[in-house]
Amino acid sequence: MSLFSELRRRNVIKVALLYAVASWLIVWLISHAVGALGLSPWVSDYMLLLLAIGFPVALIFAWVYEITPAGIKKGVDVDQTQSIVYKTGQKLNAAVAVLAVLGVAAVIGEKLLPEFVRPVPVAIEEIPLKPVFDFSAKAAVPREITSFDLPNGLKIIVWPDHDIPNVAMYYFVRAGGRNEYPGITGIAHFFEHMMFNGTKSRPQGEFDRTMEAAGGANNAGTSNDITVYMDWFPRSALETIFELEADRLMNLAIDPDVVETERGAVSSERRLRVDNDNEGRLFEQMMATAYVAHPYQNPVIGWPSDIENWTQQDLEAFFKTYYAPNNITMVFVGDVTPEEIYLLSDQYLSAIPRQHPPPEITTVEPAQQGARRIVIEAAAQSPLLHVAFHAGATGDPETLHMDLLLALLAEGDSSRLHRVLVEEEQLAISISGMQTDGFDPGLVYFYMTLPPGGDVAAAEARLLAELDRIVKDGVTTAELQKARNLRIASFWRGLQTINGKASSLGSFEVFTGDHENLFAIPEQLTAITPAELQAVAAKVFRTNNMTVGTLRSPTEGAAE
Amino acid sequence: MRRALFTALTLLIGTTAWSAGVTLPDYERVELDNGTVLLLSEKHDVPLTGMRAVIRGGSSADPAERAGLAELLANVMQKGAGGRDAAGFAEAAASVGGSISVSANLESIAVSAEFLSRDVELMIELVADVLLRPTLDKDEFAKERDRSIAMIQAAKGSDPSGLMPAYANAFIFGAHAYGNPSGGSEATLAELAHEDIRQYYEAFFGGDRLIIAVVGDFDLQAMKAKLTSVFGGWAPATEELPVLAAPTPSPAPRVLLVDKPGVSQTYFWIGNTGVAVDYPRRAELNLANTVFGGRFTSMLMTALRVESGLTYSARSVVERFAQRGTVTVRSFTETSTTVEAIDMAIKMLDRLHIRGMNEAMIASARNYIMGQFPPTLETASSLARMLAYLEQNGLDRAYVDEYGAALAAATPVTISNTIAEVYPTPDDLVFILIGDAESIREDVAKYGPVTEMSINEPRFRP
Repeated sequence: MSLFSELRRRNVIKVALLYAVASWLIVWLISHAVGALGLSPWVSDYMLLLLAIGFPVALIFAWVYEITPAGIKKGVDVDQTQSIVYKTGQKLNAAVAVLAVLGVAAVIGEKLLPEFVRPVPVAIEEIPLKPVFDFSAKAAVPREITSFDLPNGLKIIVWPDHDIPNVAMYYFVRAGGRNEYPGITGIAHFFEHMMFNGTKSRPQGEFDRTMEAAGGANNAGTSNDITVYMDWFPRSALETIFELEADRLMNLAIDPDVVETERGAVSSERRLRVDNDNEGRLFEQMMATAYVAHPYQNPVIGWPSDIENWTQQDLEAFFKTYYAPNNITMVFVGDVTPEEIYLLSDQYLSAIPRQHPPPEITTVEPAQQGARRIVIEAAAQSPLLHVAFHAGATGDPETLHMDLLLALLAEGDSSRLHRVLVEEEQLAISISGMQTDGFDPGLVYFYMTLPPGGDVAAAEARLLAELDRIVKDGVTTAELQKARNLRIASFWRGLQTINGKASSLGSFEVFTGDHENLFAIPEQLTAITPAELQAVAAKVFRTNNMTVGTLRSPTEGAAE
Repeated sequence: MRRALFTALTLLIGTTAWSAGVTLPDYERVELDNGTVLLLSEKHDVPLTGMRAVIRGGSSADPAERAGLAELLANVMQKGAGGRDAAGFAEAAASVGGSISVSANLESIAVSAEFLSRDVELMIELVADVLLRPTLDKDEFAKERDRSIAMIQAAKGSDPSGLMPAYANAFIFGAHAYGNPSGGSEATLAELAHEDIRQYYEAFFGGDRLIIAVVGDFDLQAMKAKLTSVFGGWAPATEELPVLAAPTPSPAPRVLLVDKPGVSQTYFWIGNTGVAVDYPRRAELNLANTVFGGRFTSMLMTALRVESGLTYSARSVVERFAQRGTVTVRSFTETSTTVEAIDMAIKMLDRLHIRGMNEAMIASARNYIMGQFPPTLETASSLARMLAYLEQNGLDRAYVDEYGAALAAATPVTISNTIAEVYPTPDDLVFILIGDAESIREDVAKYGPVTEMSINEPRFRP
């Protein structure tokens, strides 16, 4: 007796056929259930493995055992004259036929019936894996603002606003000059440029061409602390924007040839903003002097030799570390709903892998121990004078106090410093004040342009006298009220546009840890007293805490 | 910042751009007995109100030897008005968080104000004081004049790009009034006397030249009554505005080289005269300019920045004044690549003329213009500015509402005709360069006869 005829006799071949048909049907059913029920795709892979392991087991079982009227027995124990293998064979044939018909019917049905589509809004509210939308309980926060986190750590904030058929999208990457060190200064800003220069599937230029053809425009900016990407687009381009952003966040190509061309554009930008701009030149030297330990001492655009020298490895490591979803916050404001933003985020952004959190920046700038002074000699008729003091980080409560002090000192023609220095004594032709935004303590910064041949020492003395007056005498209630009104008005101006809303929400989320803090501003302003302003002024406006920079022509220096 | 200037450019072109589906809001136009026109629209999303008051005229009425007159007048107008001195006036606005400013351009002097709605009464009072009762104090005049001169000198010693319009207009328009620097030069400002601004004000200001647009969180009927009582009695201006002839196209090729020794890059504009504000095919013109140099993926940016790294920014700008404007390509590059960058820009201009635009380029530009337009009319103040602009230029709401249809109707043929009509050809170019003359003088002579001047000369006309 040949092996083949014995295999046939024992129904091993029929069992094999039945097993194969049944397995195929099971896998087919499971793979469709995965799509419809939202199960993980590897459920079907797992089942396939189990069925494969079961196949030889079933064949061996069929060879060894036989079905008899008395139950299952080993084939060798069965009296061959009583064997019913033939009848079992007929049953097996029938089973194969039934399963095959079912399979064919299922495949045909799949082609003919409309494809199963997950009902969109229902899926959000009823499937167990629905997003957790955070709604604010605070009265001052507009009720329509929501936020949610993707499993990979990407936080998304949505503020629907249907006034115009447009959307403003901002995302904030927690990477900036602060995360750099000698050799790679400027790399965060350079990376901002590279994010527009092609992905593995899109050549350089395609990102912008696709976005602009869909009616969108974009920009980006880098500071000491963050890199911000902005898209402004008509509602109709929403999915295109998701696709474009997901593509560059996941598949960025860092083409060495493009890197070289882009170094040229960045060098041109540096010549424009720093080397040929006296304000830019002095600011760069001021930061390098005011900070001796903290990385805020490096220019965001980078030192020229670093721009020329960072490597492919530097760029790749930087991208992997900082452009991770757990290091990014995204804001959508405009003609959208939270549900559609959730679904599109889930579809396009949830596959970006989470990374280890970037290294902490632990360097703390040591307290300054005496005034620092620098001079830049340049062929400029008009001297510049910059004066800076170490102050707080953006998240510190006293930052709001300093903001009010700056409003009454240096905002507009009625401010104290403008009145004295520009109008009354004409020591300067302009004066402005600001404080730098940041995770770590920044600077309160005053900058003046003097008239040609202006008296730098006199202007500095007058500025310091005015700051000292605040420290000694404080501010009046009327001045405080004016500063509050200026801030309330700028609060509302910021909320006039979808762009302003996206920018404000994102900044508060990133720098204060909660976007809802934006709406606490009016109440916080009301609570601040003149005595508190005076105390903050006394803490910051000290000569030991001061850096003074002058830019003037060399001839003037020779005369001193 | 990667390309802040493109946002600004969109706004600039935005005064001429629109999209199907979004239209101007309803507004009421009222012409008072003295000729003042009111344009009013309620908008209640935030508690702010924007106001724009425009006086026809502007710096094109300045005599050439006293260029800068209108702009200096605008500056001094906000230095005290009504019963308030300069400090008191500034304090009145700032103390409630309001803003008010006066500015001049070629064809108007405008007061812009934005206040919290609770302070609208004060806003109207301050705007009325500036227009009807400016102090025009003699000491404030002297301070503003000296400061304007010092500002020009500071720019010459630092980043000179802010001075390019003054050099370019002087060289392109020559002796025409459009060639006067609207902010004046060190030389013309030094010639100005207090009496000059007083005379300009008395001759050219009056109710018949006033347009007031107010948009925001207020009651329209009450606003109309208030503005009528405040401005309705303002007498007409006493003197006619000078009538300007249309400037003729600039003789070309010619090169102006402004020497700034030691500067590490060359700033350049190349172009010629263009078309006027009433140019009928502005949809075609904006489509062409979007593709040529009006957005990040434009021909100029692609060639000069993306593909070659020669510059951080290259763009083309179409400015349309009442008579005729300019078309210019604007960029900057390292001194050693000056010729390479300019040649590349000229090549792109040539390509624009030869190839025109295909359907795909038109569709992309149309989507871009229409997609970027709604945010430019999002705030009360931007709507007030647009309403005043339309009235000043004799345009109506169709300028906005039907612009989408005009963009949709543009074809490759109508756009090619527009390009031929508006853009200078490569052999018809005027070049304005600020750079290190010693390094580039000989190389740029190939573009045409070179006129050279020092940046330290106290004027912008060579």
